[in-house]
Amino acid sequence: MDTQTILTDYVKEELLKGRKMEIKPEDDLLSAGILDSLGILQMVAFIEDRFGYQVPDEDVVFENFVSIEALTNYLKANQ
Amino acid sequence: MFKRLLLLNGISVICVILFHAAGWGFVAMFSWAHQYMPAAATDFDQLGSIAYYVLQTIEQLVVFAVPSFLFVSGFFVAFATGRTHSNMAWATIWARIKKMAIPYLIWSGALIFGLLLQGTIYSPDKYLKMLLTGQANPAYYYVPLLIQYYLLSPLIIPLAKKHWLPLLIVTGIIQIAVQLTYYPAILGFDQPMVQTLSTLIPKWLFLSRLFWFTLGVVVGFHLTELKLWLERVKWVWLTLAVVLLPLGVLEWEFYLHISGQQWMDPRETLLDSVYTLAVILSFLAFDQIASIPFSKQIADLGSKSYGIYLIHSPVMTFAARGIYHFAPAILGYQIIFQPIMIILGLGVPVIFMEIVNRSPARRFYQYLFG
Repeated sequence: MDTQTILTDYVKEELLKGRKMEIKPEDDLLSAGILDSLGILQMVAFIEDRFGYQVPDEDVVFENFVSIEALTNYLKANQ
Repeated sequence: MFKRLLLLNGISVICVILFHAAGWGFVAMFSWAHQYMPAAATDFDQLGSIAYYVLQTIEQLVVFAVPSFLFVSGFFVAFATGRTHSNMAWATIWARIKKMAIPYLIWSGALIFGLLLQGTIYSPDKYLKMLLTGQANPAYYYVPLLIQYYLLSPLIIPLAKKHWLPLLIVTGIIQIAVQLTYYPAILGFDQPMVQTLSTLIPKWLFLSRLFWFTLGVVVGFHLTELKLWLERVKWVWLTLAVVLLPLGVLEWEFYLHISGQQWMDPRETLLDSVYTLAVILSFLAFDQIASIPFSKQIADLGSKSYGIYLIHSPVMTFAARGIYHFAPAILGYQIIFQPIMIILGLGVPVIFMEIVNRSPARRFYQYLFG
């Protein structure tokens, strides 16, 4: 499975908890209310567990996590 | 650091449950003593007992819990603003408020409905006030408080970015001023003006804990510099946390003694605030905290902390009242009563959330638990 699909599945399963909602890779996860204070902490932990990549604190910023697309690009560039 | 914050949230939600279990422990000890021994309706014979000091120590130990939640929320605000934006988008603020408010209104509504079933009826404006100030349950003040901080964040963010030190000083002074209003009552002055003063700033109002949210925003924006500073002084903060724990217990005993009162509801003192700051900064400074036993499970609780927070308090109220009516002998044994309260306070919300998560009702999960 590619990174974008893994992230999309995670968002649907763990952050949306089965809520019916269409998510496009470029959708803003914060303004859509999908990523909140606990969600971002969970997402970082998931990335570290699933991809074995320890995200530096300085990289946990809005610009890298705003959408599935942004996060995919960030992981591709840094993994 | 981010994984540690999830752990901090998990530890904090356990601490909230410990705090409320200890609170019910004191109720059992003093107000319900007549249920399990010959005693007056309110009896302070067990003041100074081992169980009393254990509960006092627990209350002191966990005092950082709610400030930690506010700190993590402030940290999120810095994250949600990003490097390139000057402020947090209003769409994000509204989304955040909506996600907190819907479960809060559902659970508050359920509790108000429970009161109606028991025959307690208030006027419509009283219900409105209950919802706006988090009075449907004593623990719910936290939600209106946090919503106010999110609404204030567009004002806090620019200051936290460019003038973080004056911001922390001003919010720290505000916090100290608020806490000082409690002191005349703590010290036993019982004039009507003193009572008015002690309730002047209710805990649901943003002034009461503004510093902790602001600290989270500031740390979020200046993490790199802060980590360098913390590396140099981390042992100072850890030592301070360890030293202030017993001092906090002694401080409260001192206030009880000089006020001449036998009992006072716990209030956050200035020493408590320094202890809380020391605990939070120690948490940020020590990487090793991430590898404490059961850290994964505790972090998992951290991810469910909002739902647990909303449900635990009503559950513990039902549990305590149930024990009072059906097994009052347990109230006399804190060594049994406390584990029951803690297990139910944590277990019932977690199991309920898990049942919803694995059932067709899963699509309502976020509306119920955030």
